[in-house]
Amino acid sequence: MTEAARQLLEDCGVDQERLALEWASAAEAPRFVELITGYVSSIKEKGPLGAAAGEIPREEMKRRLSAAVKAAEARKPRTLLGNLAKKLAKSGDYSPEAISKGVSQKVLPAMRSERIAVEARMILEEGPVDIDSLCKGTGASAQELEKIMAPLEKKGIVSRKKNKFSLAGRK
Amino acid sequence: MCTMYCPRPVVDTYNERLEITRAPHIDYAQAIPSSYYIDAKACLRVNFETCNLCAQTCTAGAIDFSQKPKNLELEVGAVVLTPGFGRVDESVLEKFGYGRYPDVLTAFEFERLTCASGPTEGHIVRPSDNRPPKKIAFLQCIGSRDETCGNGYCSSVCCMYAIKEASVAKEHEPDLDVSIFFMDVRTMGKGFDDARKRAQEKYGINVIRARVPRVDQVDGRLALTWTTDDGEHHSGIFDMVVLSVGLESPEDAEVISKVADIGLNRYNFCKTRVDSPLSTTREGVYVAGAFQGPKDIPESVTQASGVAAIASELLADARSSQTVSITYPEENKALEEQEPRIGIFVCHCGVNIAGVVDVKAVRDYAASLPGVVLYEDPLYSCSQDALKSIAEKIKENNLNRVVIAACSPRTHEPLFQETLRSVGLNPALVEMANIRDQCAWVHAQEPEAATEKAKDLVRMAAAKARLLSPLEQPTVDVTPGALVLGGGAAGMSAALSIADQGYNVTLIEKSRQLGGNLRRLTWTLDGENAKEVLEDMISRVEEHPGIEVITNSSVESISGYVGNFTSTIATGKKTRLVNHGVTVIATGAREYKPKSYAYGESPRIITQLELEEKLSRGRGFLKNARNIVMIQCVGSRGDDMSHCSRLCCTQAVKNALKLKELKPDANIYILYRDMRTYGFYEDAYREARKKGIIFLRYSPDEKPQVIKQARGIKVRTRDRLLGDDLEIPASLVVLSAGIEPGENQELSKILKAPLTSEGFFLEAHAKLRPVEIAVDGVYLCGLAHGPKSLEESVAQAKAAAAKATIPLAKGKVAVAPIVSRVDQDACIGCGICESLCPFNAIRLSKVGKRKKAQTITASCKGCGICASHCPTIAISMGGFTDEAIMAQIHAFSGRECGEE
Amino acid sequence: MAEVNAALKENEMTQEGFDPKILGFFCHWCCYAAADSAGVSRYQYPPNVRVIRVMCTGRIDARFVIEAFRCGADGVFTGG
Repeated sequence: MTEAARQLLEDCGVDQERLALEWASAAEAPRFVELITGYVSSIKEKGPLGAAAGEIPREEMKRRLSAAVKAAEARKPRTLLGNLAKKLAKSGDYSPEAISKGVSQKVLPAMRSERIAVEARMILEEGPVDIDSLCKGTGASAQELEKIMAPLEKKGIVSRKKNKFSLAGRK
Repeated sequence: MCTMYCPRPVVDTYNERLEITRAPHIDYAQAIPSSYYIDAKACLRVNFETCNLCAQTCTAGAIDFSQKPKNLELEVGAVVLTPGFGRVDESVLEKFGYGRYPDVLTAFEFERLTCASGPTEGHIVRPSDNRPPKKIAFLQCIGSRDETCGNGYCSSVCCMYAIKEASVAKEHEPDLDVSIFFMDVRTMGKGFDDARKRAQEKYGINVIRARVPRVDQVDGRLALTWTTDDGEHHSGIFDMVVLSVGLESPEDAEVISKVADIGLNRYNFCKTRVDSPLSTTREGVYVAGAFQGPKDIPESVTQASGVAAIASELLADARSSQTVSITYPEENKALEEQEPRIGIFVCHCGVNIAGVVDVKAVRDYAASLPGVVLYEDPLYSCSQDALKSIAEKIKENNLNRVVIAACSPRTHEPLFQETLRSVGLNPALVEMANIRDQCAWVHAQEPEAATEKAKDLVRMAAAKARLLSPLEQPTVDVTPGALVLGGGAAGMSAALSIADQGYNVTLIEKSRQLGGNLRRLTWTLDGENAKEVLEDMISRVEEHPGIEVITNSSVESISGYVGNFTSTIATGKKTRLVNHGVTVIATGAREYKPKSYAYGESPRIITQLELEEKLSRGRGFLKNARNIVMIQCVGSRGDDMSHCSRLCCTQAVKNALKLKELKPDANIYILYRDMRTYGFYEDAYREARKKGIIFLRYSPDEKPQVIKQARGIKVRTRDRLLGDDLEIPASLVVLSAGIEPGENQELSKILKAPLTSEGFFLEAHAKLRPVEIAVDGVYLCGLAHGPKSLEESVAQAKAAAAKATIPLAKGKVAVAPIVSRVDQDACIGCGICESLCPFNAIRLSKVGKRKKAQTITASCKGCGICASHCPTIAISMGGFTDEAIMAQIHAFSGRECGEE
Repeated sequence: MAEVNAALKENEMTQEGFDPKILGFFCHWCCYAAADSAGVSRYQYPPNVRVIRVMCTGRIDARFVIEAFRCGADGVFTGG
């Protein structure tokens, strides 16, 4: 689950090291203090959210994260994640590599397209835009976006006129 | 009112006479019962039939001067003596200037000075001029280890309390110069040595090994002179001297002895035996706490539980015959359903929170939060009167949600839940903000940041509180039997006690016979025959119809929860299942195998236990022994293991005395760091010195060396008095190897029971719950918990038995209502939850035509893995709903961050 | 608004002590207990973490983590 969150964060332009998963048993107070102190100083070095290397500006990130929360709520990616967890539990292989590979292959693609679909609609709420702006806004490639927008067009949620997308029922 | 109007001042004995109160008063804020009483010795009305002011001013009409003393006759099955300890006589303190020089205080008085609710509100000032001292000296062993005042024993607790008081003082005044004068530093309690080391390093407390003979006053300051063990004389001037006063037998010990017809020991403490430390010389009369011998809080609490077990054994037949059950008012569902009306209580916890966090500011901040109708700041919210007042305020203000900003919900939530129940609110409607353990205590140097953090935590707790909903309290039946792991002295004692209380016990021992480490002992620490003690215990266990002993066995798995455990016991290749309601860990520990001092290279370099085994076979091997050298702290105190093994000093002294008796012309040396012969064991230490056993202290950076030569063995150590190396040709070297934890990792995993960093099992709370662990229904005793004497193991085993029989006797246990719930409409029957649940607590079953998930409440631990992996978000967790957690996240951000 | 944010950010960046806001999700049995025990031992650590107690790290849904960052957390520390 944390790995899914981590990869989704990365997808949203957040430095994934901002999310830590550590273990300290009830008896390991000194270890806990060490971990927390180390973690806080690493975040201090990174600076505020949006300021670390490779992070995107905060406003844009916020919209992307809003879309990501919705994506993490959606049934399809959640089912994929659940099934992956089931598979890992069965195999007993909880190595970081296996988890990371599983999530990036089985879960992230669905999460990402869901996130892009939600975000595209959020952008279109503001008014019609062309595909380049949508690509720029969501961080998706044109090809990817076409694939995501097609079903939305089909369902009549989004309409396309002269290369500009808009939400159906809006000027 | 009565205290306010009373014209008769009396000294406040709780505050060590540093303050004045009036004849009617409460002793202290947390006193139980928390009602005022009149000091009859001082009262004008009682003594002179005048005044009567208080009775007239008491609006409740609660003062009745017509009451007369009455004699009550109670019919009881057992009597437990817990009078505590008495005070060291002031004549002993006078030697150190007490009473003559105002700035010589007892440690009890100093403790009151450092207390936020004490006479100076926590400011450390000199009584002579009310100015803060710059240099403080603590003198140890005042009234202890001192035959001139009749107290030859060691009081066991003063070294640690002096270090604690010194640390508190340094925390308060970082520039303070604190010196503690020890004879030996005796911090042998569990985790104490680590705490001492930290205090020394963190606060720079000076440790001086010397006994200060007297205190003089020079120009309004206090002058001390002392001699260190290198023979050097020193002197110093201090602003304040604190006398670390020992624990005496109670002042009325002889009266108690006469009334209860029990024997006392030579120091007027209660006389007990090593294998029955809680029994007095009279059957049916028992003892616990400091009256049995000076001891610290964990041991006292343990003994108290232990004595309850003994009384229960005696009274097993009468169990539940005179009980009264608590009834709670019916839940006020209408109130619970109303808009949240939150009451927030921000606790001072004396100085613990208020010393760092600005409690009033947090309280005022809480007022600004939505839904808050009441905000207060009790001094100790867990004290009985505060709880009562919280209950009253809930009623008065029609509160339906409560936030307690105080300590940890892990320790105190049940207490506040109980308070809610008592006024007809569902216990799930209280939320705690941990502003002590996770805020004030850990950010002591940053009061502003800590205050901000406390506000944030309160805001988050209030946000969650608004979304709390009442939860049902499920109960499950208890299997009336216990599984005891380990057949040593502790395991056998626990098994016997549980069985004597009327429940079945399965006792598992990994070796082929019962006995554990006791089997290797020849004498107990106070010289009794260990073999007899062992044989007696084994025969009682084997003959008991309620105990089944399974030897050569181990536990493969334990599943279930308190009340309903199922364990797989493996004996060789065969396995069998045992159902039991509770589990007792008594798996013991073992003697450390030395890795240094040339151990294993010569048959004449042995451990203390090996020496005892040799001795039990006769004295032949001592024929040519001229010099025998014992080395302490082998493996312990940072040598290889960080803990102090507690027993080795006494064990060494005991064996040295035995050797001296068998071979009077041999020279016996004991090379030590601190002799930790605590309590009455000090007598043996003194006897050993009198009999000419030579004690030489070494420091950890100058350890003794054992040199094996072609002909014989040489031990080289530093003679501190001569300031030179001393070489002893040794006929026998005895290593006081410490106590090493057993292989606890596996059991720790099976039970999910945490271990300390040294590898012993960790109790749920060192003082409040010393024989329980974090897992409900699992109890702990003996060496598995940490090094201790046979006497202490037996008392602890009784205590574990007392705690273990609580669920057995109740017959039902309540399951925490934090379990998962499945929304049947939203569930699509995918089965992900079923396959992920680590406790097999959620299963698919047919509901109508479709498969739906359902929670098995009794098995669910509330981990929430099902909820976080449900594709349709159909599962919610009691007390930890998605909505509540989201609300906490939004409250964390502080800004409006709701759904957009 | 973006400008204000940028200015704020720069301000935070250049300020000597950037005080990150960190959200912790601590397991009741493990990390939360370790944190309590750190308190009992009076260990000191930076005051930047605000803790949400959960019965187990398994409770933590990816949505919680993402939402925390959306709400402006500079870091999320999950402790089992």
